[in-house]
Amino acid sequence: MDWENTSHFLSSLLFWVPWILFSLGLWLLSSKLDWKRRWLAWIPGLRYAAFGHALDLDRDGVICGALEVLFLPAGVLDASDFSNRAIMALFLLTLVLQIIVFIYRIRLFLRLVLLFGVKKRWVILWIFCKWLPLLILALGKRYQPLEGIKFGEDWEAGTKPAEHTGAAANRPEMSDSGLSVDLRERVARDFLKKRYLLQDISLDIPNGSLVMLLGGSGSGKTTFVNALIGYEKADADIRLNGRDVYKDYDQVKYRIGFVPQQNLIRGNDTVKRTVSDAALMRMDASLSSADREKKVADVMDLLGLTAGCDGLVAKKSGGQLRRISIAMELVADLELFVLDEPDSGLDGVIAREIFTKLRAIADEGKIVIVITHTPDRVVDLFDKVIVLARNKSRVGQLAFYGSPAEARAFFGKDTMEGIVMSINRKEEGGEGRADELIQRFSLRNAAGEEKARAAL
Amino acid sequence: MNEKIRYRGRIAQTFIYLGKLLRMFVYQSDWKVLPMGAVITAVVTLVVGTYLFVTQEGTLTGTFALTCVCIWNGFFNSIQSVCRERSIVKREHRAGLHVSAYVAAQMLYQLLLCLAQTVITLIIFRLTGVKMPVVGIITPWGVVDLGITILLVTYASDMMALMISCLVRTTTTAMTVMPFMLIFQLVFSGTFFTLEGFASKLSDLTISKWGLNSMCAIGRYNEQPMVTLWNTIFKFKDVDVFGQKPLLEIIQLAEKEGYRDQFLLWSGSYNQNDAFVSTAGNLLRCWGNIALMLVVCVSVAVIALKFIDRDKR
Repeated sequence: MDWENTSHFLSSLLFWVPWILFSLGLWLLSSKLDWKRRWLAWIPGLRYAAFGHALDLDRDGVICGALEVLFLPAGVLDASDFSNRAIMALFLLTLVLQIIVFIYRIRLFLRLVLLFGVKKRWVILWIFCKWLPLLILALGKRYQPLEGIKFGEDWEAGTKPAEHTGAAANRPEMSDSGLSVDLRERVARDFLKKRYLLQDISLDIPNGSLVMLLGGSGSGKTTFVNALIGYEKADADIRLNGRDVYKDYDQVKYRIGFVPQQNLIRGNDTVKRTVSDAALMRMDASLSSADREKKVADVMDLLGLTAGCDGLVAKKSGGQLRRISIAMELVADLELFVLDEPDSGLDGVIAREIFTKLRAIADEGKIVIVITHTPDRVVDLFDKVIVLARNKSRVGQLAFYGSPAEARAFFGKDTMEGIVMSINRKEEGGEGRADELIQRFSLRNAAGEEKARAAL
Repeated sequence: MNEKIRYRGRIAQTFIYLGKLLRMFVYQSDWKVLPMGAVITAVVTLVVGTYLFVTQEGTLTGTFALTCVCIWNGFFNSIQSVCRERSIVKREHRAGLHVSAYVAAQMLYQLLLCLAQTVITLIIFRLTGVKMPVVGIITPWGVVDLGITILLVTYASDMMALMISCLVRTTTTAMTVMPFMLIFQLVFSGTFFTLEGFASKLSDLTISKWGLNSMCAIGRYNEQPMVTLWNTIFKFKDVDVFGQKPLLEIIQLAEKEGYRDQFLLWSGSYNQNDAFVSTAGNLLRCWGNIALMLVVCVSVAVIALKFIDRDKR
């Protein structure tokens, strides 16, 4: 055997032996990771995707897998032939990609380290010889995945659908007046995972109602609101005064106002022009300019923005900015008005003042839905309360819909904050009664409160 | 409520947003780009303006510098214009704003800015005594042809920056990407770095190359004298050959008999560049390529912004 053949044989050996050992390590480890298709450990590309999936790092796994497949043809490149610019460029590109995949592989291994509860210094071993720690973790009986470990908040949140409460089946005919919601489910794709964000929310809100939307952090309030206003469509029938919000979205969206949590307004324009531009954009184009100006003046007057309306938005206080943000939506001829934490960052007096304005807006016949985290200081102004809760599968469901007084009776709490605490998980300092309350409310809806009590 | 209501369409929205941008020009101090551009042009003109449109070397260096100024101005005009208010645009898009109307308003506003910068550049040229091309190629006036080129280069760069601003989500990312785009434009302009093969093809995708070619064509580069050869000979004037200095004698004779200018023109005739030929066809081709890039950038900007709803909360 001449030197060239020996060299070729050795380089092949150096490539294939670690490759086989790494695959073997993955294959052995897969039983500890509850990995169903263990044979994937031997398929280039797919083995990383499966590895990442097992560690709840789908994206990282797929990137590593894709790059591994990409590197296979790169292996045939003769890197010494730098006279060929194309080969040099490919070589450099491969080098850059190798650095990227190196970082992603470390992320995967760090997750493995966390899962097995071993020291982070194992990563050093992984860097130099990535098959060795895999084999040790796979074969060592003392190394087992830690019980009950959860990788952050999103480990398995919403990956399994909740049991249907039957709310949709039990709901009466949709009303042609007010807002009728029949949301079966709202699903999102999180890379390779299908996540159920909301399920089984059915309710009817009459016109002229001021509605409070309550729920713990991550219970799906904003997702619900986005589905409600047609911005992010769900598997649902949503009707606003008889019109299908999804099918007629291009028209209905002008009847729906949404005030986001942040003050998303250009600071370097005057208050008056900001509101009047919003009116130009959102009002019926056939209206005369006099009518439009009157509407702008009325809205600004209602929200107390007339004084100093020629000043720049950037110079206004937090409370004024919230009111400008509300005015920008209110100038449209709204039927549904949704506000995401309009009192965020405001003191009690100013917050109360804003809610009083919202009460006045609702009294004009509009439906006003408000998400708030400080409900008790203003609950007396509200007609209805919607409570969303995350069930054991971490899917947002309807835990209650009714008047504030009914809510207090249903949850057995004196305050709205107490209600939120009762549905929050125990890890969050709550009582962890979400599943019980969702079920109870569903039964109450289906068969009346008396029957529900008897059943439980 | 079931009657179909007519809301303002794209054209009306464009002018609503143009008005908004014009007000912000005053309130947000966007006007500062004008004096900033003027200062940059003045500095560059003081350095390279003396031989601009006078000699081939001066024209090449000067037009390259001028192209850089235009690209710099264009980039700075709009690099942050969309990404800095991205979340606001997302809110407005939700409330009925047409992305195409928003981009069209930005285009019109930026066009006004670029027009003002072009006028300022030409005024500074006049004030600093730059010898301007007299006869134009497309129009009867060289200064108008030059103005159109400056406007096109600035505006195309502006639209390229607008595209980046629509593609990225934060001003930090935009300001990180900008230097790379700028360096790409300068290195691949094909003037000071010899480009071959693929790199040469790549230079066809730069605004700088077509801008520089246009300006050299308008400045009639191929008809100008070349001084490099004369200067090189001058450097060797003291070379001693058998006790004599023949090069010095030749130089003195040429200067005395008035052959120097003829020599410069003669040497220039051997340094002509087909890309700089002063014909209407060549100039229109250069302008067309810049305009094409402009259209591509705007299209990408609109498409990119169409996906604004996918931005995470």
